[in-house]
Amino acid sequence: MKRPRPPPWLERQRYLLDFTLSSLGRRKGKNLALAALYTLVVFGLASVLMFTQALRGEALRVLEGAPDVVVQRLVAGRHDLIPGDRVERLSRIRGVQEARGRLWGYYYDVSARANLTFLVPDRFWGKPGEVVIGEGVARTRLSRPGEPFPVLAADGEVVVLRVRETIPSSSELVSSDLVLLSEADFRKLFGVPPGLFTDVALTVPNAKEIATVATKIRGLMPDTRPITHAEIARTYEAILDWRSGLVVLVLAAALLSFGIVAWDKASGLSADERREIGILKAIGWDTSEVLTVKAWEGAVVSLSAFLLGLLLAYVHVFVTPAPLLAPVLKGWSTLYPDFRLTPTVNPFIVSTLFLLTVVPYTVATVVPAWRAATTDPDAVMRS
Amino acid sequence: MKRVLSAWAGIALLLLSTAAVAEEPARRPTRTDKCPVCGMFVSRYPDWTAAVTFQDGTSAWFDGAKDLFKFLAEPGWFLPGKKAADIRSVTVTDYYAVKALEAKEAFFVVGSDVFGPMGRELVPFGKRAEAEEFLRDHRGKKILRFADVNRAVLDGLD
Repeated sequence: MKRPRPPPWLERQRYLLDFTLSSLGRRKGKNLALAALYTLVVFGLASVLMFTQALRGEALRVLEGAPDVVVQRLVAGRHDLIPGDRVERLSRIRGVQEARGRLWGYYYDVSARANLTFLVPDRFWGKPGEVVIGEGVARTRLSRPGEPFPVLAADGEVVVLRVRETIPSSSELVSSDLVLLSEADFRKLFGVPPGLFTDVALTVPNAKEIATVATKIRGLMPDTRPITHAEIARTYEAILDWRSGLVVLVLAAALLSFGIVAWDKASGLSADERREIGILKAIGWDTSEVLTVKAWEGAVVSLSAFLLGLLLAYVHVFVTPAPLLAPVLKGWSTLYPDFRLTPTVNPFIVSTLFLLTVVPYTVATVVPAWRAATTDPDAVMRS
Repeated sequence: MKRVLSAWAGIALLLLSTAAVAEEPARRPTRTDKCPVCGMFVSRYPDWTAAVTFQDGTSAWFDGAKDLFKFLAEPGWFLPGKKAADIRSVTVTDYYAVKALEAKEAFFVVGSDVFGPMGRELVPFGKRAEAEEFLRDHRGKKILRFADVNRAVLDGLD
């Protein structure tokens, strides 16, 4: 059977690419150094972008379940417990469908050396004396369902609770450090008297009315602070933007020096390369063919470095727990001993990086080659 | 990939909702339902949705009470072949609860500083007390019942 021949255009590109690769091989040192530097820069930028993107995704997932408005009581500018009668008064505000007093708090666990979040859910499905714990808690305290879960109460007494089950979750950030327990156990552990709550969560069905509700709360209870869903989202965004901006700023210096090196390497043709172009022209190559080879050269170096950098960044962010970035960007690293980000690849980020790195580099390699290729081969070889 | 999935989910929902129409009028507009008065997609404004259900079980959706009243003034002009006699029920969306509400029982506030997708609106409420408080909070002008809404009121809103 005869194999169908590929179209002549494709065949031609194949030969040109073949020539390019062997020509690259002849200047191994220079090209490898350039590709390594290139990979490093792409890796750095892609890591930051992917990491903040993933953190933003986690934050949004946390926010999805957040109440429309949270009302906190302030005493001398500090968050304080809110009396239960306020819950009823808040629920009577027009536009509020439901008001719930919430009980939650932080507990520093000496044995795990981590902060745990204790929370009384809407309807706790366990019996008093039982807790439901997040994956992270189970991991660090080595507690499995059915085992005792000792906690140091506010009055110094050790209360032994029992683990009922662990919470499976799509996003570990949300539930990793969570301990769910009954209202009676919570009040006993933290010494919160009956009738007092940590804060009040409001459900406001019409998002347009949230601002009006918040204004009414400020007038009705001057010692409270209403925090709206939008304000929480803005705070998350601001923190993430600020932190990723900081890292990008540091990387900007690296990017700039890379730019200078790459421009120098790619745009300034060595005498060797100029001679090569001259010889190619002398043995009958077209200017267009020389340019195609040079374009292939730029594309091969930049594209492989780009893909390698991107792959390394993906592994860095999602497979390993981002050892280079986590301390700067995460900020909860002490609370969440080990949490994995949900892998996402944003096509916008990938294409932005591509346009910023591969395209300019390829162009930068073609321009000087064009200048050398259009001059007389004799002059090129003599110079 | 995600977009493809959601497109399929949309198609599946569409099929499901058309199947549901046979027994009971659809409760919610689908992604492709357009307001017959202004031509805008209705499902993007769930807190303004108004609906007319006809005797044959089909529904027309509107992105606000204003367009609903324009339609009720002359149904045949917007949906050729439909007459006032074909209409079985008319609902609007309660501003505070964001739930469907019988339009004949609603209280409408006009002249407030709350705008719908089509600009100035008749904002519907289930109770008079709610309408009064909204009127105070949002500088409304008047509270109207279903029967009070006429040509002059609608012209005043545009």
